[in-house]
Amino acid sequence: MSIFFVQLLTGIAYGMLYFMIAAGLTIILGVMNVVNLAHGTLFMLGAYIAFSFISNELNFWLALLLSVFCTAICGVILEKLLIKYVYGKELEQVLLTFGISFILADTVEWIWGTEMKTLPVPGLLDGSISFGDTAFPIYRLFVVLFGCLLALLLWYLETRTRIGAIIRAGVDDREMVGALGIHVGFVFTGVFAFGAALAGLSGVLGGPLIGMYTGMDSEILVTSLIVVVIGGLGSWKGSLIGAVFIGIIETLGKVWFPSLSMLIVFLLMMVVLIIRPNGLLGREVA
Amino acid sequence: MPLMLSDFGMNLVTEIFIMAIFAMSLGLIMGYAGMVSLGHAGFFGIGAYLVAILGQHIGNTYLLLFFSIVVSGIIALITGAVFFRTSKFYFLMITLAFGQLVYALFWQMKPLTGGADGMSVSAILNFGFGDLFSPLSIYYVMGVAFIIAYILLRFFVESPAGKITKGIMENESRMQALGFNVRIYKLMVYALSGSMAGLSGALYSYFNLYVSPDLSGWLFSGQVMMMVIIGGVGTLFGPAIGAGVFIFLQNFMSSYTERWPMIMGMLLVILVMAGKGGIIHWLQHIQKAVFSRKKITQDTNNQLKEEEAAS
Amino acid sequence: MSLLRVEKICKSFKTLRVLNNVSLEVQPGERHVIIGPNGAGKTSLFNAITNQFSIDSGKIFLEEREINKLSSHHLVRLGMSRTFQKNNLFGNLTTEENIHLALIAKKGYRFNVFSPLVKRSDIRQETEEILQQWNLTDRRQMKVKNLSYGEQRLLEVLLALASKPKILLLDEPTSGMSPAETQQTSEIIQKLPRSISLLVIEHDMEVVFAIADRITVLHHGEVILSGSPEEVRNNEMVKEIYFGGGAKLHA
Repeated sequence: MSIFFVQLLTGIAYGMLYFMIAAGLTIILGVMNVVNLAHGTLFMLGAYIAFSFISNELNFWLALLLSVFCTAICGVILEKLLIKYVYGKELEQVLLTFGISFILADTVEWIWGTEMKTLPVPGLLDGSISFGDTAFPIYRLFVVLFGCLLALLLWYLETRTRIGAIIRAGVDDREMVGALGIHVGFVFTGVFAFGAALAGLSGVLGGPLIGMYTGMDSEILVTSLIVVVIGGLGSWKGSLIGAVFIGIIETLGKVWFPSLSMLIVFLLMMVVLIIRPNGLLGREVA
Repeated sequence: MPLMLSDFGMNLVTEIFIMAIFAMSLGLIMGYAGMVSLGHAGFFGIGAYLVAILGQHIGNTYLLLFFSIVVSGIIALITGAVFFRTSKFYFLMITLAFGQLVYALFWQMKPLTGGADGMSVSAILNFGFGDLFSPLSIYYVMGVAFIIAYILLRFFVESPAGKITKGIMENESRMQALGFNVRIYKLMVYALSGSMAGLSGALYSYFNLYVSPDLSGWLFSGQVMMMVIIGGVGTLFGPAIGAGVFIFLQNFMSSYTERWPMIMGMLLVILVMAGKGGIIHWLQHIQKAVFSRKKITQDTNNQLKEEEAAS
Repeated sequence: MSLLRVEKICKSFKTLRVLNNVSLEVQPGERHVIIGPNGAGKTSLFNAITNQFSIDSGKIFLEEREINKLSSHHLVRLGMSRTFQKNNLFGNLTTEENIHLALIAKKGYRFNVFSPLVKRSDIRQETEEILQQWNLTDRRQMKVKNLSYGEQRLLEVLLALASKPKILLLDEPTSGMSPAETQQTSEIIQKLPRSISLLVIEHDMEVVFAIADRITVLHHGEVILSGSPEEVRNNEMVKEIYFGGGAKLHA
């Protein structure tokens, strides 16, 4: 029975991880109507960059910060150089971000090689806490906590700050917002960078949990896409629900039906789509 | 023509024939139905593995090909029925998930599929007049298959159903308002596309004699999409040309560098940023440029005549 | 027996009540015009009748047959056709191709995947007739997005007519037109055979009074008045709506 609770915690932790990366994806999608297929590769990049820093004796937390910074910069470069030219053109976005992900993924393989790697759990969070006779790994608790903090941050940004209001207005009427003197271009670059940073962040945090290997980018991309679809485009709240749900089902599924866990997740998505074609909390997309 | 090519060259062209069928199937839904599928390789893999797995027990080529076509078609129908309820954005992402699902299934069901190591294909082509396993005979078979596939697609595109499908891509709400059951047409096209992709996968099995989960992976889905883009979206033959160009490039590049995915990625980026519609459109541009001079003079003549008549 | 009967339909979008107990009737052969200020719910009414969205309550009858739950393409099969306020044509296709598509909709071979469409002589003939009747023969090969606005509006109506409907819903057919084009369109509408009933949304009062047998006035999603042109012209409430701060009345 206690194993079940640990599995549950693991599932929620994975779910939070998926939430973090899916949040970035769904925000970019919802705010800018941009499909970013390179999102998984940014996740991967974050993890590998942190790996390099840590391999060079840097502290986990510092590596985390630098990694996130690097992926954010990456996001800024991508947006300013490439992405902003394909706003509104769906097919072009798909191809462009597809191409970018191939370039980035192959670069990662080139620089870091193809063997599996892991990030060590930071000293502070190593070990486990016991409740009764069940030992819960601290790191997983930490990830769950972090996810909750992120959700709080997003809620705060969205409802309480000027930025949230601007972004919401910018989605509705870009020209009008521009006419009010607010530089919409900056906002969009910022949003994209934020999404990229989230991806990198989850990559680093996921390092100790998932590990790093060739092909992780497409795997995590698909999972986050499923989360976004289930949760509803543009709704980070939906992503939260969907992600935790998926995390739990996937983890438990791996225990009971190891070779079919992905199928179960996929079928879940189909079911949600049949009942609610716009996802759980989604709105109609233009 | 095959006499001019070495064995290697012939194999290359054979592969191009097969990929051309695959590319045309994707080109159909992209160019005539406006659907962008990122997981089309899923159907390819299904067709390929069907031949690989069932081919161990069934020897009849007709039966195997038939199964590949029908099973892929049915899967396309079922998944399409759910996927089309959603918007284009969702469709994109869901098809990607679909492709990856198929990949994961092949990867995980090791006892059946050999898992990540793939499996060899023992099935041999036999249409009733002997086993065909020489490169030359396979070359002819694939060539004929390609021609048949093209003709079939041509018929579809020119038919009422085909025109309607194109209309749906142009303006779905209007088509609905004109009285067309839009859903049925989308399903029809998707099923046709899926079964053709499955067929190309099956043919590939006979040709390559080895299948692996990568045949359903997203890299491959990306590659076939590149073929369509290079050749030109919106034409039937374009994707076939794109397949030729792409396979050629791939073979050429792979012999020099391992970094083919990176180069492919850069090609994609360049293609998008350059913003034109692929080779066929360039050819059309050239054609227009050459012929439009004639038309301009004709128009001016007509205009002058009208003005004369008016005064 | 009325041809189209709308019975107390209601529709809300979240908190916005778009249609509130709207009822109206169109008799066979009638020219029924709907007027009302902007935002009164006129296009929403059309969308409700053609089942673009589902209504919250009420019923809609076509020839006494309840049609609430039918899909919009089915309605066309039953004889209801509509045009759109903003041109909703196939811009990248030629005039000819646009007409082809409209004509195939009711043909038995629309699921045919084999014989090329161009060989179908009945389609070619009908297209020819339509092109000639409306003076569009020299525009046949032109991409619709290159037609003049008036020609596009005309094509908009022709596409809806192609299915030989029993009732045609015209959504602001003269919107955006010059006075000459408006006059032309008004004449075209008046020339339509009485075998087709018309339900028209219009803003231009000259056109309204030129074609209407009956008028329904809509305001804030409610029916203010449904009656003959004389009744509407002399009604106080209607005058209030239009002159007391509502939409402009250009007559």
